[in-house]
Amino acid sequence: MAKADDGLVRALARIAQGDRQAFAGFYQKTHRAVFGMCLHLLRDRDEACDVLQETYIQVWHHAGEYHCDRGSVQTWMMSIGRYRCLDALRRRRHEADYDSVSDRQESNTLGPMDNVGNLLDRQRLNHCLKDLDERYRSSIEMAYFRGFTHQELAVAMGEPLGTTKSWIRRGLDVLRRCLDT
Amino acid sequence: MKPDNYERNHALAAEYVVGTLQGAARRRFERWMMVSARVRRQVWYWERRLQPFNESLPEEVAPRAVWNSIEQRLFPATAPVAARWWQTLTAWRWSTGIAVLGVFALLLWTPSPPVVTHYVGVVQSQQAEPLWLVNASGDQRLSVKAMPPVQPADDGRDYQLWLLPESGAPISLALLPTGGARLQMNLSDQQVRQLLQSRSLAISLEPAGGSPTGQPTGPVVYQTRLVQL
Repeated sequence: MAKADDGLVRALARIAQGDRQAFAGFYQKTHRAVFGMCLHLLRDRDEACDVLQETYIQVWHHAGEYHCDRGSVQTWMMSIGRYRCLDALRRRRHEADYDSVSDRQESNTLGPMDNVGNLLDRQRLNHCLKDLDERYRSSIEMAYFRGFTHQELAVAMGEPLGTTKSWIRRGLDVLRRCLDT
Repeated sequence: MKPDNYERNHALAAEYVVGTLQGAARRRFERWMMVSARVRRQVWYWERRLQPFNESLPEEVAPRAVWNSIEQRLFPATAPVAARWWQTLTAWRWSTGIAVLGVFALLLWTPSPPVVTHYVGVVQSQQAEPLWLVNASGDQRLSVKAMPPVQPADDGRDYQLWLLPESGAPISLALLPTGGARLQMNLSDQQVRQLLQSRSLAISLEPAGGSPTGQPTGPVVYQTRLVQL
């Protein structure tokens, strides 16, 4: 486990014992990435705030369930937030526009959750995506970054439903084989 | 579902994480995760592998009201701990500094593979319908795929793609394809630098063949921003 993640794991252990101070620090340290992801997926600031709130309520109640098989603490956190975003998208299909998210700030500084492991993971994913058939890659990216359903992908790409389903499935299969090499 | 079909389970786990596993199938899969450690591990595999997607997204500070609401919901009868945040932040600052130094030390000692950068942007309509998918890579290639709903503009006008540098006038890149067609082009070194700095693109409607002045003359109808993977 990366050193940078150790602090977050210790914080989670304290949160699991009801340490509110640790929870406040954990929120301060991690919420920006979760909120940025929620904004990107939901394109709605109020809804992203609601999902962020639900995410950390869940963290408070389930901090003790984290373990390293889940990946880094950040991966665990982002997964909780992502599934809540997907739930919100299911309830409200793509209403907001990309441009409604304003005043974004990108962080170019090295944060405590960046580490060598993350860098190598990112390079590996980039490498595999680059080699992926463009149709597969586009389908996966649109599903992951916008929460598109199979049906929405079919409409967006002007292809039969079975075709886009097949692209997603084959693309993920090829991606896994590449990531595992 | 056949619980013992490893490959099929992996495919379902992947679609669960990506989000395309829907409705009853998604709920069935979640129940299955509760009883099968193996299926849970397959989901965690995909969560870990696709986490770099999340790391490519810009971070944003949430409004203070979110934390206040969390505290009110979890600890309604007690005082907030916010007043002592500075202590926590100080501790974090020290631990962060040490962690960052550790990362730098590791970076110095770890031979890095060649960095492959990849950028993606989706140009969308007001109704959030995807119109063009833009992919740019660090080796100067830019490709734009028009989604089938994009039809040629009225009056024979063309959609023209512009790079919006951080300062200075827009830079013409190409006339955009429509109706499912795909465009691939090479950028100059300077265009790559400017695109990596601003990551901003705009699309205007221009007379057939493109702007006669080298600058946008028609309305800017869409904008997008590339995110780095």
